[in-house]
Amino acid sequence: MEIPYIFTPRKDTGMCNSKIAIWLFLASEVMLFGGFFSSYVYLRLGADYPWPERALPVLPGLINTFVLIFSSVTVVFAWAALKLRKWGMFQLCMGITIACAAIFMGLKGIEYNVKWHHQAVRLTDYTILEGHLDKDPKAIDAKGQPYEADVIHVNAEKLTFSTVRFHKPWVEEIIRQAEAGKATVALAEELSLQGQKLPAGTKLSVDLLEAIQKNHLKSRANNADVRTDALRGEWVAAKAKAENAGKQGWEMAPNINIDPAKIANSIMVETPSVSFVVTPPTNLWFKHRDIKEGADQSRLRDDTAIIGKLQDSPVAFHNLDAIDFRHVVMQAEKKGIDPVKAIENTWLIKHSKEAKEAWEWNKAQTARLEQELLDKYGRDENNQPKRVPTLTERYRIGWKDFVAKADGVDKGKEKIHTSEEFMGPNYELREPKHTFPHLHIPRELVFLSGKFTPAWNTYYAIYFTMTFLHGLHVIGGAIVLGYYLFRGKKMYQSNPEWLANRVEVGGLFWHFVDLVWIFLFPILYLM
Amino acid sequence: MADSPEQIKKSIKTYTFIGLVLFIFTGVTVAVATVPALDIGVHGFDHWDMILGLLIASFKATLVGYIFMHLNHEKKAIYWIFFGALVFFAFMIVLIMSAKSDPIHFNGFDLGLPF
Repeated sequence: MEIPYIFTPRKDTGMCNSKIAIWLFLASEVMLFGGFFSSYVYLRLGADYPWPERALPVLPGLINTFVLIFSSVTVVFAWAALKLRKWGMFQLCMGITIACAAIFMGLKGIEYNVKWHHQAVRLTDYTILEGHLDKDPKAIDAKGQPYEADVIHVNAEKLTFSTVRFHKPWVEEIIRQAEAGKATVALAEELSLQGQKLPAGTKLSVDLLEAIQKNHLKSRANNADVRTDALRGEWVAAKAKAENAGKQGWEMAPNINIDPAKIANSIMVETPSVSFVVTPPTNLWFKHRDIKEGADQSRLRDDTAIIGKLQDSPVAFHNLDAIDFRHVVMQAEKKGIDPVKAIENTWLIKHSKEAKEAWEWNKAQTARLEQELLDKYGRDENNQPKRVPTLTERYRIGWKDFVAKADGVDKGKEKIHTSEEFMGPNYELREPKHTFPHLHIPRELVFLSGKFTPAWNTYYAIYFTMTFLHGLHVIGGAIVLGYYLFRGKKMYQSNPEWLANRVEVGGLFWHFVDLVWIFLFPILYLM
Repeated sequence: MADSPEQIKKSIKTYTFIGLVLFIFTGVTVAVATVPALDIGVHGFDHWDMILGLLIASFKATLVGYIFMHLNHEKKAIYWIFFGALVFFAFMIVLIMSAKSDPIHFNGFDLGLPF
């Protein structure tokens, strides 16, 4: 079939169809990204925590900006090459464009990966700590590897599973851990299912729980039917009574009840939960997000109750690479407390010698910076210094500051390797100088613990949402442009103008992707 | 639209030039944000940095739109479609921001705000 108006303009619009179509599509994209940009504005203005200004490493973002701008130039060159009928030139320019897309996504991947493996902990006193965790030798996973020291240990004596809600992989994990601890998990009391008796002492297995679940669901359905039938019977009988003649349903309702004795024979035993005893009581560990821990009883998210004493379950930092007091300061100012006093009363400063040293060092550095700014810019008419150190400089001790401290240089004068600008600190390289402290935090002080994922705070949530959506656009655009590059030869030979038009339309999309990044880069990396 | 080979060759020069301008302004954005000596407003990030950053970004976006996306010689219908969407978006933002009683303390564009 002949497609009309591929590159000849339609009389009514004065344009070819594809151009109108792509601009309509880009208009809808404006609305899509616009929605997320306004989310960003509102999340930022409404944040009840110090917004992480300029928190991302600038270098990868800057390189990505250059890469995208460069690809925008090459894609328009590719179009011009087709207009000039230079196939080789088109191939070269389009190839570079797609390579740029690959570089962009590669850098994005590195950036995401670093975030995804970087630990953060917020203490109950609002101190925020960042770094990497130790391994916990008591928490061995299914592959025999120690898990990160951010788990909850419980000396389990008794487990009660919810028959309908138990989560299979977690049951399997409990069985595995009990076996590793040479303990048996066995049914606490005898249980009778239809036509089958399960003696006390039957070992826990997923099959067993599934059989109990099946029996429970069957009983529950049966009992519901029996009760409904009985109630229906009562209604029929009530309506037939002479004294109820002419009465409305709501008048009769209070007197209509099921007689339990009548249906006792048809009712089957329901088992909404089932208990198992752990002998001897053994240590089980759980990921902190799966459990709500208590001193004597804890509960998993699938409603499994664990009776047993909570064990020492610290969050153990192998490398503590940032201490952030900005949230402490924010809370202190709300309550009218002196921020420095509030910081010096935190658990961290009172309990960690290294953290105290780092804080004192940072205080001295801030004082130096304050003096420098005063010398340089002077005071205003109210005798206040014109420029003062930022909140970040005052109250956040970042990894670069730890490096500066270890190297014995002033803040901002530290030597950072280029790879560290992408990947974060090189711990092995910094190890000999004990640049980054170790730290054990008692579990009861941990308010929130997690990696820098969307779950950490609204900044990372919107950062990942917007950059991921943008990344999808980069991939989609690269696929379309790649199609023209690798499959366009035939079209070029039969009708070069057609291919030129397609590349122009694909290029318009590509420029739009660049245009979005032009805004994303400053708002996420520089502001 | 520049369609003759001469015009295309001429516009290639324009594209190169615009590409360079975009590179330079990206550098400027990063420099004013990271080099203390070039910092405007108070020391560190404040609303002046935000305004400057967004102005430069808008300028760059305009260049991309006008030159790379050929909006400089496009039919009127395209303007209606694209700028119509932008205006519509701005209108919607104003609708949201006109809320007087919400937990977000945003009291208008008076530029004296601790952004």
